[in-house]
Amino acid sequence: MRDSYEVVIIGGGIIGSAIGFNLLKMGVKDICVIEKSYVSSGSTGRCAGGIRQQWSSPMNVRLAMRSVELFKNFEKDVGMDIEYKQGGYLLLAYTPEEEEDFVKNVEMQRSQGLDVEILSKSQIKSKFGFMNLEGVRIGSWCQSDGHANPQIANIAYSMAIKRMGGDFITHTKVESIDIANKKIVGVQTDRGYIRTNTVVNAAGFESSKIGKMVNVDIPVYGERHQILVTEPVNHFLDPLVINFNHNYYIRQTKHGSLLMGQGDANPMPGEDLGNSIEFLEEMSQKMVRDFPLLRNVHIVRQWSGAYDMSPDAQPIIDESKDLSKFIYATGFSGHGFMLAPAVGESVAEMIVHGKTITMDISNLRMDRFKNHIEIEKNVV
Amino acid sequence: MMYDAVIIGGGPAGMSAATILGDKVKTLIIDENDRLGGQLVKQTHKFFGDHEHYASMRGFEIADKLLKEIQKKPVLISLSSTVIGIYPQNTVAYVKDGQIQKVQYKKLLLATGAMERQLPFVNSDLPGVYGAGAIQTLMNQYGIFPGKRFLIVGSGNIGLILAYQLAQSGVEVKMILEALDKVGGYEVHANKVKRLGIPILTGHTIVRAIGDEKVEGAVIARVDKNNIVKGTEREVVVDTICVAVGLTPLIELAEQSGAKVSYIPELGGYVPLRDERMRTTNKDVFVAGDLSSIEEATTAMMEGKIAAMQMVEDLTGENLEDKIYDDLNSLAIFRSGPKSAKIRTGLEKMGINVPKIDLPKPQRFERYDDSKLHAVIECTEEIPCNSCEYACKFDAIKVGININSVPSFDPAKCTGCALCVTSCPGLAIFMKRSEDKAATLGIPYEFLPLPKMDDKMWGLDREGNYVCDVKVKRVVKNPNKTNIVYVELPSEFADMVRHVKYPSKESPYVCRCEEVTLDEIEKVIDLGVTDFEELKRLTRVTMGPCNGKNCKMVVLGILSKKTGIPISSLSHGTSRPPTKPIEFRAFLKEGEE
Amino acid sequence: MEGRILEHPILNFQRKARVKIFFEGREIEAYEGESVAAALHAAGIRVLRYTPIDGRPAGFFCAVGKCSACLMEIDGIPNVRSCMTKVRDGMQIRRQNKNGDLL
Repeated sequence: MRDSYEVVIIGGGIIGSAIGFNLLKMGVKDICVIEKSYVSSGSTGRCAGGIRQQWSSPMNVRLAMRSVELFKNFEKDVGMDIEYKQGGYLLLAYTPEEEEDFVKNVEMQRSQGLDVEILSKSQIKSKFGFMNLEGVRIGSWCQSDGHANPQIANIAYSMAIKRMGGDFITHTKVESIDIANKKIVGVQTDRGYIRTNTVVNAAGFESSKIGKMVNVDIPVYGERHQILVTEPVNHFLDPLVINFNHNYYIRQTKHGSLLMGQGDANPMPGEDLGNSIEFLEEMSQKMVRDFPLLRNVHIVRQWSGAYDMSPDAQPIIDESKDLSKFIYATGFSGHGFMLAPAVGESVAEMIVHGKTITMDISNLRMDRFKNHIEIEKNVV
Repeated sequence: MMYDAVIIGGGPAGMSAATILGDKVKTLIIDENDRLGGQLVKQTHKFFGDHEHYASMRGFEIADKLLKEIQKKPVLISLSSTVIGIYPQNTVAYVKDGQIQKVQYKKLLLATGAMERQLPFVNSDLPGVYGAGAIQTLMNQYGIFPGKRFLIVGSGNIGLILAYQLAQSGVEVKMILEALDKVGGYEVHANKVKRLGIPILTGHTIVRAIGDEKVEGAVIARVDKNNIVKGTEREVVVDTICVAVGLTPLIELAEQSGAKVSYIPELGGYVPLRDERMRTTNKDVFVAGDLSSIEEATTAMMEGKIAAMQMVEDLTGENLEDKIYDDLNSLAIFRSGPKSAKIRTGLEKMGINVPKIDLPKPQRFERYDDSKLHAVIECTEEIPCNSCEYACKFDAIKVGININSVPSFDPAKCTGCALCVTSCPGLAIFMKRSEDKAATLGIPYEFLPLPKMDDKMWGLDREGNYVCDVKVKRVVKNPNKTNIVYVELPSEFADMVRHVKYPSKESPYVCRCEEVTLDEIEKVIDLGVTDFEELKRLTRVTMGPCNGKNCKMVVLGILSKKTGIPISSLSHGTSRPPTKPIEFRAFLKEGEE
Repeated sequence: MEGRILEHPILNFQRKARVKIFFEGREIEAYEGESVAAALHAAGIRVLRYTPIDGRPAGFFCAVGKCSACLMEIDGIPNVRSCMTKVRDGMQIRRQNKNGDLL
């Protein structure tokens, strides 16, 4: 760690790392990423790794499509195999309302250029005969969706950053941010003071705390989500399956284990990342019902992570109006990993060019909350 | 029986001489082995030197070529014949098929070579302590595995070449010890070995061999000015120890012939005194090769020719002066580099005039255009070789008159044909193309199995450490067995990776659940990962059904040992439920079956 | 690792006819053209003799007939350099008793 950097990124999760990597790629070499613990210790390391483009808002669809482009080249770009697989995403509809939403969404997603289709129940049956489809009406299917290993991706970025000449400082906490004449002048950490004029807040569910240090209100809070993993079994499941109605998602990793989670009936706001036995009970019942072949499969581990929830469940990416060169990329509401490559690129462009080049992400500015809030519905 | 010329020893010097004497005078060549070639037949590496003197050919191929030439001439060859002495009246006595034979010579060429030097250490007489030549005989002549795990003592060219040859046969070389503070042999030979991951420990020697009936290990230690540094002794587990600490000229027959010998350590010890044209103090007796000075097979061949031409002049009066001068000149150029300084000193002690020959510095060119495939030449030591210059048909590589010069490389003229890669005896030339993200690297490869297209391999750096995974894109097989493996890798590693290997299977398993080996763990730590949590995520170690119960402490121990961070300061992860794997069905409520 | 190299990146080992040789009465795999010491080594036999004075185990050292480490009793004849002696069908090889018995 040096005592001065052009850009200081707070938060070494997938978002902060992607921003750092893209800055270096664009030639901004004098940067550091500060991570309070180890690489992938936060939400990134706890996430399931789904990469989907089937969203209900056009902005999210475009951002996700750009990310998929970048994920395809991730291994070459960043230098590590992250187990990326375009095995598709299958979304299941059980009610007429869901069915209607799916049809509408697919139409909108197609208008954005996404290759996505509605599958009839019999089409689903012929593709995934091992599933119990009782009550299913239709499915929404996108082959180019997929999944990857978020932990490896996070570490891959961190290593690339170091290799390219940036600093990636772990086990270091930001304590305060210094301002003079309405400008950032430095960051105080528990391991020393850093002079800088540009700070990126990529602290996930803790980004509101970082905001408070400079009196910028960031309406993001943590929400516990639980997840479990089974022993590995031979490969049988290509796509990530989302069942909004039964409230779960499941995917099989390259390694063979099954990763699955659900939205808590009563989400726990805050930072408690404990585990509940009820989660195992609920998941077991759903799995044995919808995936009877999993009956005798062993659960080997459960954990939880925090979604960085925003009021509309959509990211907030902006530069503060009150404090220039205080940039935030947060509020990903459980979808930060899949959007990270595109977000990293756009935020780096904001810093280098003063505006985004590749994508128009003005919809994701903070000022949207002054108006009507349109909540992203396609979330678990 | 009287011969014009008798040659004793059918190695490179004797064979080269026979090719000249053969059709000029009545010649007999005597060798103890059942075939000619001497040590050449066991040399699987390509030779340095001038392309006119067999550079870039492998030793055994040179032996074949010389043999074919000799067989065209009316040379008498007596194999499996052990010379027992040189007697008065120019008589050579030898045993063949259990019978003594006697022949007389007008001129005698002694090309008896040298033998392995001993290194006395405790238990150096145990079976399994072998000379380098013995190992080459076993392995490269008979095709028999000489051992499983090797310790090599001595880092001269022989020790280095042997280490490489052992690796080619699939034998593990634990390490090479060198008592001096720097590697003795050519840098390119050392580099070939180091990038395989074989460490060369300078300032180290062997203290003793361990074992009752055969070698089971060795104690090694640091040395300082020939003294073992107390307290630095440690054991290594090996089943074979190779002694490669140099050679001693075999001078007995020379002495019996009446040639005077003198102790000149720079030339290998006691050597026969001789003139520039290899004539000893007995005007009818000539010497060539390692007997006259411990050097390269290439110089042995040149000396053999020079001696032979002088013998022809003596015997027939034919004037071969021009040819002799040419060869003397080639020899002087060969010996003009820094690696031959000792030889030059030795020759001067013998009263031979050693000409001063310029050694021009290489020309520097512009930076490479990395977007096209071009050669990368990593030959920085002044050694006698110009095979790359000869291989290049596009004038991109220049060595010049003095073959000891470091090659000059003009990347603008390089077409990417890679002929230089194939021909370089030091395997010191690579191919590279580097774009924004991905780079292509061509690596000379002389191992089995030959990599297959699209296979993922480990890219190793110049010390044999893991750098990154690489993907095999193309394998170019060459008739001379130096194949080129083209791999794709992230461009930032293109200047680091210099060897590829399939992920090791031999390493012990640390994590049984996820089948993670020690190698894989160490490889990730080598990448700079010092946090247990990150190590775990990258390798899956401790992430299996046992949740790390079996291996977590072992992994922490490995991490602590490699990083120097005490275990107590390492994070050891979180103990997450369930502590034992549990089936989904266990959570079903009664009646939900 | 004992035994013979079957595949090699540079060399091509063409083995000649199989011959029967016996070490201390036990049959050992060998091929025409191999030296006795080489064939024994391939069979995992490294101790070729016990030294006459101190009784220490010894194997070959130079393998090219220039030292005396590998002396053995071959077909009843002691002190034969096993590294320079080619195998022959029916050959009887023994570790010799000290300096070798003539009777």
